[in-house]
Amino acid sequence: MSSSAKKKTPGLEEWMYHSLFQQVPFNVAIIDRDYNIVSANDNFTEYFGQWRGRKCYKVYKNLDQPCLGCNARLTFEDAQPRLSDESGVDQHGKEAHYVVHIAPLRKRKGATVKYIIEMSRDIVETKNWQMEYQLLFERVPCYITVIDRNYKIIRANEAFRKNFGDVIGRRCFEVYKKRKTKCPNCPASRTFRDGQVHRSQQVGIKKGGEQAHYVLTTSPLGRQADQIAHVIEMSTDISDVKKLEKEVLEAERLGAVGQTVAGLAHSIKNILMGLEGGMYIMGRGLEVNDRDKLDQGWEMLERNFNKTTSLVRDFLSFAKGRMPELEMVNPNRLVEEIIGLYQAIAADVGVALKADLNPRAHSVPLDPKGIHTCLTNLVSNAIDACEMSDNKHGEVCISTTDKKGVLSFIVSDNGTGMDSEIKGKVFTTFFTTKGGKGTGLGLLTTRKIVKEHGGRISVSSKPSEGTRFRIAFPKSRLNALYKEEKSK
Amino acid sequence: MRTVLIVDDEPDVIAYLGAVLEAAGFAVHAADSTEQGLKLAEQVRPDLICLDIMMPKESGLSLYTKLRADQKLADIPVVIISGIQTEQEFDFQALVKDSSIPPPEAFFEKPINVAEFENAIKRLVPQPRART
Repeated sequence: MSSSAKKKTPGLEEWMYHSLFQQVPFNVAIIDRDYNIVSANDNFTEYFGQWRGRKCYKVYKNLDQPCLGCNARLTFEDAQPRLSDESGVDQHGKEAHYVVHIAPLRKRKGATVKYIIEMSRDIVETKNWQMEYQLLFERVPCYITVIDRNYKIIRANEAFRKNFGDVIGRRCFEVYKKRKTKCPNCPASRTFRDGQVHRSQQVGIKKGGEQAHYVLTTSPLGRQADQIAHVIEMSTDISDVKKLEKEVLEAERLGAVGQTVAGLAHSIKNILMGLEGGMYIMGRGLEVNDRDKLDQGWEMLERNFNKTTSLVRDFLSFAKGRMPELEMVNPNRLVEEIIGLYQAIAADVGVALKADLNPRAHSVPLDPKGIHTCLTNLVSNAIDACEMSDNKHGEVCISTTDKKGVLSFIVSDNGTGMDSEIKGKVFTTFFTTKGGKGTGLGLLTTRKIVKEHGGRISVSSKPSEGTRFRIAFPKSRLNALYKEEKSK
Repeated sequence: MRTVLIVDDEPDVIAYLGAVLEAAGFAVHAADSTEQGLKLAEQVRPDLICLDIMMPKESGLSLYTKLRADQKLADIPVVIISGIQTEQEFDFQALVKDSSIPPPEAFFEKPINVAEFENAIKRLVPQPRART
């Protein structure tokens, strides 16, 4: 500055040149053919330190001779500008990364290049970002791919390559799912279309052939929907979670099987106890010649033999995984059958059995045998509840309703009722409140049949007031099941 | 006469055990619920109680706990007769989950072995009357 200050008034051109040289946001240096730095701006001095009387390779890289493949030499020879990424040392001896643009300085075209201008810019921070990004992209514990509009994978991270193999240039659906065509409901294609983030759960096949469950998020790489050239696909592998879920379900299933077997064993032990008791009492009758004991023992044998039959029948009907055999039936007809079957039995124990039928009932697809079993179980329970109650005017009512597309059968009684603890257990395997009289499978079987019809069973009850069971079937489901059955 | 109280919701079990115990010289009282069982235990104060576990409404373990907590009834020997566990795996503490409650004097799995049952009775209630 001091030499130019001595001049009277610098010309506009000279002033502009000087200003540009100093203020341009680059490190600028002029170099002669012997690699001497002949001029440099303040940015350069600040970045690389003292340069006067020093060679460019010394200043830039702390070398004692020109760099191998020196770009400056090439520009001195062919007068062509060049751009390159370089690494060197800054004035504090720290590693420096910079981009250098080299341009020839000559008086006219064709003249020898006596000087070159080197404009460099620090990219240490950019390099660091790049490294961080690269590290993140490669090491993040999920699968990341970048795909183009043809669904070709142009980048894939380490986790993805490890699990799905060498995939660059292949289409994502080939790699993820071993498909030949695009997946239905492809979230990436939605992102290409609307520029939004989409998420979905997918099942793919890894390179070893094992299944991979993953949650896929697709994100646009571009600002506007019509400018999206690439989509980034990020997947979190949830195979382990799925495996755990499966193990829990399996454990629950085994637990239920164990509970059922334990319950069955308990029922069988009780029956065996009754049979052995019958034999023992008959034996005593014979021993002491007591006709009453003989009769008592024989009755016990008969009763427990019948219990075995009921238990086996109920258990088979509970264990059997059959689909309902649907046919068009008027629900009222099923109720009338049950009334006919149980009227006398109920009357014998002083219970009135009534029906309250929906007069506008139409035929619907039902499995008559299945519903018959359900109503039999509910009605016999209701009669027992009345019989066990102190109420001398025991009454059981079966009604049918058809409201809002839902067909219901309701069995209500004014018997013993249940407290909340018992109510919570009624659908548990082998739970019975009837002591030796029940098998504990009736309500469980009823619920199973109702579920097979796509319906549900509910119960409301109050101790000493009575109980109300409702089995409800959405007619739309019955019709869908019927259609499905007909199409087979 | 020595007395026994049988508490079981199953009438056939009452009939069977009753017959075995009568033959062993006991006067038999029976209850088909724990509620009735507790009442009879207080009234009769039997020499022995045969108790089932799985009963509707209230379990036999609940009655057992009440018996052991009642000073007048706590020393009556109790035989638990149930199908809930095998004799080999019977673990009373695992069932009651309370270490302060002493275990029953004997446990029999249904269906019972009559000879072993009779031996246990003789051991628990000595000098019963001779068989009739």
